[in-house]
Formats: sequence, structure tokens, C-alpha cells
Amino acid sequence: MPITVGLLLALSFIVSLIALAFLIWAIANRQMAFDQAQAETIFVPGEQGHPDDATAAPEALEARAHHYDPVRAGIDAVSARPVLVLLASAIFWLVLGSLFGLTASLKLHWPDWLDGSPALTFGRVRTLHLNMVAYGWTSLAGLAVVMWVAPRIFHTALRNPRLPVIGAVLWNLALVMAAFAMASGWNDGEEWLEIPWQIDMLLAAAGSLFVIPLIRTAIARNVHHIYVSGWYWMAALCWFPVLFVVANVPLFYSGAQEATVNWWFAHNVLGLWLTPLGVGAGYYFIPKIIGKPIYSYSLSLLGFWGLALFYSQVGIHHLIGGPVPTWVVTLSIVHSVMMFVPVIAVAINQHVTVGRNLWALKESVALRFISLGAVCYTLASFQGSIEALRSVNTVTHFTQYTVGHAHLGAYAFLSFTLFGAIYHMMPRITGRAWPWPKMIPLHFWLVVIGFAIYFVALSIGGILQGLAMLDATRPFSDSVILLKPYLESRSLGGGLMTLGHLLFAAHFTAMLIARRPAGTMEGPRETRPAVAA
Amino acid sequence: MTRQARDNRAPEETFEPYEEHRGIPLPVLWIAIALALWGVVMLFQSHSAADSGITRRASQLSTQTGQTADAGAALFVANCSTCHQPEGTGISAAIPPLAGSPFTAARPEVVTQILLHGINGPIRVGDRDFNGHMPSFASVLSNEEIARIGNYVRKRFGGQPPELTPQLVARERERFADRGPWAGGAEIAGTVDASLAPQPPTVPARIVPTDAATRHLVNDGRGDAWACASCHGAQGQGNEDVPRLAGLPAAYIAKQLGDFSSGRRDNDSMRVVARALSKREMAALGRYYERLSVPSTARPSLGGDLARGEKLALEGDWENKVPACFSCHGPSGFGVAPTFPSLSAQHPSYTARQLADWAGGVRSNSPVQMMEKISGRLSAEDRRAIADYLATLPPVPARKPTPEEASNANTAR
Repeated sequence: MPITVGLLLALSFIVSLIALAFLIWAIANRQMAFDQAQAETIFVPGEQGHPDDATAAPEALEARAHHYDPVRAGIDAVSARPVLVLLASAIFWLVLGSLFGLTASLKLHWPDWLDGSPALTFGRVRTLHLNMVAYGWTSLAGLAVVMWVAPRIFHTALRNPRLPVIGAVLWNLALVMAAFAMASGWNDGEEWLEIPWQIDMLLAAAGSLFVIPLIRTAIARNVHHIYVSGWYWMAALCWFPVLFVVANVPLFYSGAQEATVNWWFAHNVLGLWLTPLGVGAGYYFIPKIIGKPIYSYSLSLLGFWGLALFYSQVGIHHLIGGPVPTWVVTLSIVHSVMMFVPVIAVAINQHVTVGRNLWALKESVALRFISLGAVCYTLASFQGSIEALRSVNTVTHFTQYTVGHAHLGAYAFLSFTLFGAIYHMMPRITGRAWPWPKMIPLHFWLVVIGFAIYFVALSIGGILQGLAMLDATRPFSDSVILLKPYLESRSLGGGLMTLGHLLFAAHFTAMLIARRPAGTMEGPRETRPAVAA
Repeated sequence: MTRQARDNRAPEETFEPYEEHRGIPLPVLWIAIALALWGVVMLFQSHSAADSGITRRASQLSTQTGQTADAGAALFVANCSTCHQPEGTGISAAIPPLAGSPFTAARPEVVTQILLHGINGPIRVGDRDFNGHMPSFASVLSNEEIARIGNYVRKRFGGQPPELTPQLVARERERFADRGPWAGGAEIAGTVDASLAPQPPTVPARIVPTDAATRHLVNDGRGDAWACASCHGAQGQGNEDVPRLAGLPAAYIAKQLGDFSSGRRDNDSMRVVARALSKREMAALGRYYERLSVPSTARPSLGGDLARGEKLALEGDWENKVPACFSCHGPSGFGVAPTFPSLSAQHPSYTARQLADWAGGVRSNSPVQMMEKISGRLSAEDRRAIADYLATLPPVPARKPTPEEASNANTAR
């Protein structure tokens, strides 16, 4: 058989799959042996359970072992300040980014609105929206979750707690500069890499200030086993600076190669940065709020290492039909479809835990946000794998369908998860209950209904748009005109989402400035307004 | 469910998440293995798909560039036989024969020069006079192709050995680089090969000036009627979606401008321009572009199947009730004035766009809805195939002005 690129690719693909399978098998088995033998070491002195049944299975014994009081251990107090700084700025960017997103959406069907100033033209407004919600809201809120939860799963206080505060200040400074730069028309000219590279250097430096505390805390941990959320977060914080710096090297790439690096980064910033932040949060908060363990450790391994192996190649499916070698595109499509494997693993782990404890959804809006986010992660990933197929991509590429898909991932998955996480975290950070508990379900329903309208409208409109563009016998303008009602629905949905964000921001602010005496609060457990009422 | 029961299930604040020790469920493994197998097959096949694509492209290129064994014959069929006939017999009183013609037996430079520049004037072949009207192939055939086609014609119809080489064609191309068509047999005999004399006298070519107003309209525009040349090019050569106008029948151009103005043909730019023009100006612009003779700038660009396009153009597809393009648009798609525009050397994006517009009902101004019906029976692949094929044809030779037109133009000046 002649040695072709296809044969080499197929062989290296098989070899990497076998290596992955072996890795998971090896870790899963060694780890099992560890846990059986060292179950006692997980017990924190004084937190040991009191078995009331001497014949309890080893699992039950182990279950009682998984208790730890972070408040008494004094670690929450250390993380509170950096987390609050991160959250406050994240929510600021959420509101500002939503307003720009809504403006961009309205401009698509009111093209003459706000056309007087160059800074408010569609191209700049959309760019500002993307960068504010991606690097402002989701990144900072995700980092806040990491800084809060990581010390808890490592059973030790956050190391260098001043660094994340400095990091947050620098990061916000870079974002403000970037926003002014982009509004004035100065950007790097590539989607997801618009921020001028001069400002990127500051952003990268700020990002590294979060890595050091996390790694140092992990090294100083008081548990042997690192919980799955920790893997995702440490990986994300190590991957992101590499991706960001490599993709932003100035004057190094050109032409089709530049486009390849552009989409390699643009998809990896979703899959290797934002996704692990959200998946890690889901992995922590779902069992935490329900009080039941995750379904399977082996599936956690499969999900994490599958993501690490497959995700890094998927970006080039944005260049299907473009002037890049066929094998690069095919490799990317195969890896996109292989993402089914880790996604199914995460889905089973998270959905089974929720599915067996549906009662908890009624009681906790935070859990409702997070488990709906987890469902949307599954849906967005399945949808993304299918969209990468050439036959589907032919229709959906260059249409609003892709925009709907992007929001299913970045909004319905990640933002919902982060909302839920913030609702759970804030009472524990501040020691105060949410001042207006009824506003939490209101926020939930506003953004859920708003997003449902948004997603359904863009998915249907996008397919119709794609079919119209493919039909050479119809003029291009047909594909634009038919979209109008769908774009208007999107603005309606986006408007509801923005309204929800304004309520959320107001609620958050009220909680920060509330000066209630500690005695009046229901207790830091209060994330369940149903119980409180 | 009682409140008490719910509270019992509510977790303690000190609970820390952990994972239970379970193996990977079997269905997950099966799915993973199935996807992995699919991935291996995809990766393996992608290369063979790319390979077959490269092979197909290579064979297409070899047809276009004449790199195959009987390329001369194929090129002859594709480029010459519609007029000169497959057996080289020509058409009585209209198209000169090649078989037994002294031109095919003359020095190799003769055939080369005729292919490169075309003929526009009287020519005597044997004992018969023709009004020569041959296109220039300089812009659509490479030196290699002209050498092959010339060798084929000279061998088959003149019994000459293959003396043309790409180098010779390149030299001949250089020799008269900027000239237009030969003004008839006399000029060829006088310039290239004296043995072809005697030839009928050439009517002296008259430079036909266009009136200054039309030139101004074309090059500078006026108000809403911005300059034609700004989109259609300085010589009416067009580009991509903007059609080539050079050599289109004057009446056809005037009709289209009228249709744009009245809304019978829809185009946002042309509607504005045409409404700013008077009937007289439309007619004058038609006459201006009809006389332009410009090398082809069109190249196949849509990935269409050229063989299929050629078949549709020459023979049609009667199973789908598609007549041959050339049955109305004339041999080689040179057009039949005043109604049928020339198609040759038209930009493929434009041609395919028009066929699609007819099929979709966006354009509907053809006489008796003929093009609407025909285009509706073509698939998208067929539309691309025809458009690409037509782009390989040489441009229509400029029509010589009639004596009245010439004198009118002179008086206008």
C-alpha cells in the first residue's frame, strides 16, 4: 500500500486513540487501588462521619468521608476578596456586553438606527459585544468560580490571594483599553483576535497572575486526589495563555495560514478555555447542591482526556471549502465528531446525578441554572459536531444558524452555569442572603424564555437563509429579506435576556451594599428561595 | 412529598463532591469505538478523495492545454469545426473550406497568424471569394494549443509536416503584438506569405470615430448615468459578474438598457443608469460597444464540466428538451444580431447568474420566454458547465461598420 497522507493520518489517529484508552485504563485502575487502600487519608480530622451501620459497604463509608467545612477551615475568607473583585467586574462587562449585543441585533433589522457615529456601526458594536462577553463576562466570572472553588476542593486556603486581585485590575484595564481601541476602529482584523496585540500583552500578563495562585494552591493541597473540576480548571488556566500568546504573535502569520491559526484559536478559546471553566463548575456545583456524588470516575477521565485530545483540532471546520489542505479540514471534522465521546461522558456524569434527584431542581434556582447549562452543553456540543460535517456545513455556514449555535454554547451553557454558580456562591462569600429571593426565578425565566426565542428564531431562520443562498436561481437579496422576522424575534429574545441581566446586576449590587446585621440572614446555605419563602 | 422528607434529602453544607467508582458504561464504549472506526475511514478516504479530485483536475487541464496525444483533433473539434465543419469542407459562400486550401499548405506562419489575429475582410480560397470573418484565438488559446491545432490542420488538410512549435507561435505573437484582425487575404499575402496571391482587393479599413457625446458617456458618465467603463472596463471587457459588452449586437444592448429602464429587467445599478439615458443614447451606446473588438479576459472559474458544457452548447440535451445554445446564438456562440447576443468569451459568473435568474424567474425579458423555459430545465451543474465552456471560446470578431454608419459617424463628428 502506498504511503499517503490519509494513511499516515489514519494510523496516527489510531495510535493516539489507543494511547488515550490505555491512559484512562491505567489511571482508573491505579486510582481505584489507591482509594480503597487510602480511604482513611481523605478523612479530615474532626470531619469524620459517624457510621450508624457497621455493615455499611465501603462506598457508604467513603461517602461519609467526603465532608469538609471550608468555613471552619477558614479558606473561604481568604478567597472572598479576589472573587468579589472578579465577579463585580464580570457583571459590569455582562451588562455592557449585553447592551452592545442588543444594539448589534437591532441594527440588523433597523439598519439606519444609530448610523451617525463610526463607533456605533454594526462591525464595531458586534466586535465590542463579542470581546466584552467573552473576555469580560465569561472569562472573569469563570475565574471567580475557579478562585472560590479550587481552595475548597484542595482543602487549603488560596495561595498568593493578592495576585488574582492585581490580575483582575490589569485584565479590566486591558479590556477597557481594548474596548476604546476597537470602538475607534483599531483592531487586529481577525474574529476572536480583534484586541490589538499591544494590549494583548497586558491581557496575557494579567492572565498569568491567576495561574500562579491556582498551581501553588494545588501543590499545597491537603487531599491526595484532585477532584475532576480541578483537572479542568488547571488545564484551562495553563492552555489559555499558550493559545492566546501563540495566536497573537504579531506579523508572523499571513494568508491562509493566518486564517488557519485564527480559527484554531477561535475554537480553542471556546473549547479549551471557556468550556473547561463551565464544565468544571458544573462538576462541582451539581453534586454540591444535590448532596450526591458524581456517577462515575472513569467517565470523568474519559470526558477530560477526550476533550484534551480531540478539541485542539476542531477549529479548522470553520474553513471547510477554504484554501487549506483537504486533510487538515478532514482531520478537524473527524475530531469535531469524535467530541461526541467526551461530551457523552460528561453528559452521563452530570445528567444522571441530576436525573436521580429531580426534587432538587424545584428547590434551588441555582441548580436549575447549572443543570440547564449542563444540558445545553450537551446539546451545543452535539450540534457542533453535526455542524462540522461537510453536508450540514454547506447549508449552515455563513448563516445566522451559526450565531444561534454559538449562543447555545457561550450563553445557554456557560452563562447559565455561571449565573447558578454566582447565586450559590454569593451568600457564602458575603455571609448575607440574597435580598430579593423572588428576583432569582424572575431572572431565570427571563433569560430562559429570551434565549429560547433567540435560539429557535436563529436556527430556523439560519437554515432558510442557507438554503436560499445555495439556490442559485434566487437572488441573494431573498436570503436577506426572508431573515427579517427571525432577526426581529432574535432582538426580542435578546431584549428579554438583557432585561434579566439588568435585574441580576441590580440584585448583585444590592447584595454588595446591603448592610444587614448578620443575625437577620437565613444562613449561608440560602440559595433556595422556595425554602426561604 | 412532605416538607420533612425534603429536608432530609437536602445536603449538608459540608458535603464535598466526589465521583463514584464505576466503569465506563458499555454503550459509551461501543459509541466511542464506532466513531473511532468512522474517523479512521474518513481520514483514510479523504486522501483518496483529494487524489481523485487532483486527477480529475489534471485531466481537465490537459484537455484545456492540449497536453494529450490527439489534442490537436480535440482542439479542432472544439474550436474550428462548428464553422469550418468536421471534415474541413466549410460552408458554401459563407465559410472558406480548409481541405485543399492553399492557406493550410502555406508556410506555418500563415496558419499561426490567422489563428492569432483572425480575419476581417475578403479572402480568396481556390477560385472562390469569401467575406472573411474569423475570430482571434490569441486570448483564449495558449501558444502550445495554437501550435497543436495548427499542426493538426496543416497535416490533415494541407499534408504538411508538423512545423509549428510553441516557440514559433510565441515569436509570431510578438511580431504583430498589437494588431487587430487581418484585413483580408491580400494583407496576409502581402505580409506573411506572398505565394498566396492573388487575393481580392481589400476595402481600406476606415477608422470609425464615435461621437464625442457617447465617448464621454462611456468614459466619464453624466449625473446618475455613471461611466459605463467604471464597471464594464475601459474596453467593455467586463469582469466576473459584470458582463463583457464588446461585440454584443447594438440592438440587443439598446433593448437591455430599455428593459432596465422600464423594469422589465431588474438590476439595482443598471436601473439607475438606464433611467438617466435617452433612447438615442441607448442606441448610440449599443453601436459603440458592438464595434469594439477586445481579447477575451474570461476564463472558466466555476469548476464546471467543460465536456458537458460543450455538449450542451453544440448538441443540447434533448432528453430534457434543452436545445443546443448555438442553434440560436450562432456557431461558436458569436451571436445572431439583432436578437441573439454573442455568448463566447462572456464571463462565466455572469452567464451562470443570468441562467439562474431566468430559471428562478428573476430575469424574464427574453423573447417568447425562450430562455426562461430552457434555463428552468438546466441543473445548477449544467449552468456552471455551460458558463465555463463559453468562457473558453474566442471573442466575437468586431462587426465591420456599414458604409452608411461610417459616413454618419463622420458627419456626426
